[in-house]
Amino acid sequence: MGIFDIIGDRIAPGLQKAMDLRYDRTKAIASNVANVETPGYRAMELDFASELERAFGSKGTNDIQVTNSKHMNVSSQGLAHLTPDLSGATKADGNNVDLDLQMGKLSHNGGQYELAMEFLKKKMRMVKLAIRSAQG
Amino acid sequence: MFDVNEIVANAMSVMRTRVNTLASNIANAETTRTAEGGPYKRRDVVQVAQAVEGNFGSVLDEVSLSKPSVAAIVEDQTPPRQVYQPGHPDANPEGYVSYPNINIVESMTDLMSASKQYEANITVIKTFQNFARRAIDIISG
Repeated sequence: MGIFDIIGDRIAPGLQKAMDLRYDRTKAIASNVANVETPGYRAMELDFASELERAFGSKGTNDIQVTNSKHMNVSSQGLAHLTPDLSGATKADGNNVDLDLQMGKLSHNGGQYELAMEFLKKKMRMVKLAIRSAQG
Repeated sequence: MFDVNEIVANAMSVMRTRVNTLASNIANAETTRTAEGGPYKRRDVVQVAQAVEGNFGSVLDEVSLSKPSVAAIVEDQTPPRQVYQPGHPDANPEGYVSYPNINIVESMTDLMSASKQYEANITVIKTFQNFARRAIDIISG
């Protein structure tokens, strides 16, 4: 049980899951970039939105409200799914990796990771502040 | 983190092999005599993808993280370029010299492309390093 479970914070698990997914998505991008010249290689993708939905068992994109706080427990998450990435055109050798698109995704993904990270740091700081205030 | 290191390291190693092969091709673009006889033969890197054990559940079986690797370096089997140079020591009785089938412009663009891909892989590994560094920051922040 983490500190955020103890204080009943329901946003932190979401941030943690988002960071996990951003990290895994970068793995898929790493594989695509590494294989940009490999004949027959098919690009892959991790669909962030659908994976996040899957993790929280919610269909709406905006609501992650739950009736029971246990529903937010994502520690027993399944593995993220890789799906084929069809954003690039297939070259003559059967490879469909578009290096520029992948680098764009890499940059965007890194930014989103930083964002989630900043929120988590803020939350951590609030917990620290609360503890320090209680100490008087 | 380790599977990513493996993928990127492999990609960089393959790129290096590509650059070495291209360097050999460019350097020997005019080599008309080799130990095996005949002109130098252009070398090409054959690259294959190998699946890497990643922590993913796949929707389709064929989708998995892959690392590239060099399957073989093959010699170009097309007939050599014939240039009429009767005075050349390697000229045949008709006065033609066999030159390797190497297009310098093509080789140079391949070289640039390989070097850019090498850089792209470095950017990927830097992103992961940054992730790790930032994760440590959470506690210190």
